[in-house]
Amino acid sequence: MTYMVSKEEEFCSTGIKELDIQMGGGIPLGSTVLVVGSSGSGKTTLCMQFLINGAKRGERGVFFTITEPLFKLTKNFEGFEFYDKKLIESGMVNLIDLRIISERLGLDAEKYTVEDAGALLDILKDIAEELNVKRLVIDSITALCYRLQTKEMIRDFIFKLGTSLAAMKCTTFLTSEVPPRTFRYSQYEIEEFIADGIIFLGDVDRRGDLIRTLQLIKMRGTAHSRTKFAMSISSKRGIELTPLLKS
Amino acid sequence: MANTIIEGLRERISTAAKINQSVGIIVPGNNYSELLEAIFDQMFSTNDIWTYVTVTKPFDSIIKTFPNLSDHRNIRFIDCISRAAGISKLYPECIYIESPTMLEKISMEIINIFHDANVEENINKYLVIDSLSALMIYNDPETVTEFFYHLINKTRTENIHSISLVVEEEETNKYLNKIIFLNDKILRVRDSFI
Repeated sequence: MTYMVSKEEEFCSTGIKELDIQMGGGIPLGSTVLVVGSSGSGKTTLCMQFLINGAKRGERGVFFTITEPLFKLTKNFEGFEFYDKKLIESGMVNLIDLRIISERLGLDAEKYTVEDAGALLDILKDIAEELNVKRLVIDSITALCYRLQTKEMIRDFIFKLGTSLAAMKCTTFLTSEVPPRTFRYSQYEIEEFIADGIIFLGDVDRRGDLIRTLQLIKMRGTAHSRTKFAMSISSKRGIELTPLLKS
Repeated sequence: MANTIIEGLRERISTAAKINQSVGIIVPGNNYSELLEAIFDQMFSTNDIWTYVTVTKPFDSIIKTFPNLSDHRNIRFIDCISRAAGISKLYPECIYIESPTMLEKISMEIINIFHDANVEENINKYLVIDSLSALMIYNDPETVTEFFYHLINKTRTENIHSISLVVEEEETNKYLNKIIFLNDKILRVRDSFI
């Protein structure tokens, strides 16, 4: 593959060395990236590491959780060496339970109307602007889209969110939940068309053991690798990658 | 007599590993323990950085054989079989891999250890793989072959000297024959030598 010449100011480094190399330096600033995987594939860890690594470089970030309460989320990360509590306390990484925000806005209906979706979009944009974040995570977009009634609403929501955040040069990770060992990128099969990038987390079976994998499917603006990587998640180093053996 | 022979073997390994980037050692099964003793003597006698990957014996068994192992801070272990075998006694000075099938993870840990050591240029870095024969038991031969190709190339790039063991009874395996000759030098330990 041919790597693009990396200009640091145009790329958002994930801080995961091998992943950045595969994209020629990082993710183009302001991109919306779908992080796809089944339960336990490492989506949330990848997103948190992305935010923490950004905060260590002075880039403020926000993590909107929908799938698990904040106390559980923080407890799960306490064992990781990359997770620096001080970055949370100082506001460099902001953790927000989107369900609580939605409830406070009166957005607690099973299904959102177009107006509800608009109100939620506005609040997400307002928070991002107010905090002046350069990195944003929604975990998960699948849970959020569940409340949007049509594919058009989903498309519109993600498109508008991505456009607003791109204008702020804020790079966004949206996690997408898919069933295990399936080759699809989203629940509603619309998210991947709007996203600028797709990072697919899966696994391969080797004699009954599951080897975690990561593959870059799409990353607009980069001549990225499409090689499948073996992914390791450890408390000491977080996510690490090495090319997967082909045999 | 036994000590003299082990000393001789240690000398051979030491010289071969210094001169060559990668050394393959073919050993008869019944002389495996003498070879191990010679390798450990060599590791104990230097200040070089050593990483020992065991797929043959659990670390618990190794530390019982060499109780003063913990005193040698320049030697790190990667145990690929204890967790898969359900051995619950784990030591903090050893890195445990979930399963010997996780070959990519083994590579990552090897490189991490040497990077973390961050040693001066005059300190040599050595890697021992014990053994390619055991890796073949837990993996498809093609996968081990590919793993070893990558490992040899990676260690060369990182200026790490490697010593890979093959137990002779299994050496007839065509894959083992193929990969052992990727090394720069082959040492064949003969029964008669021991």
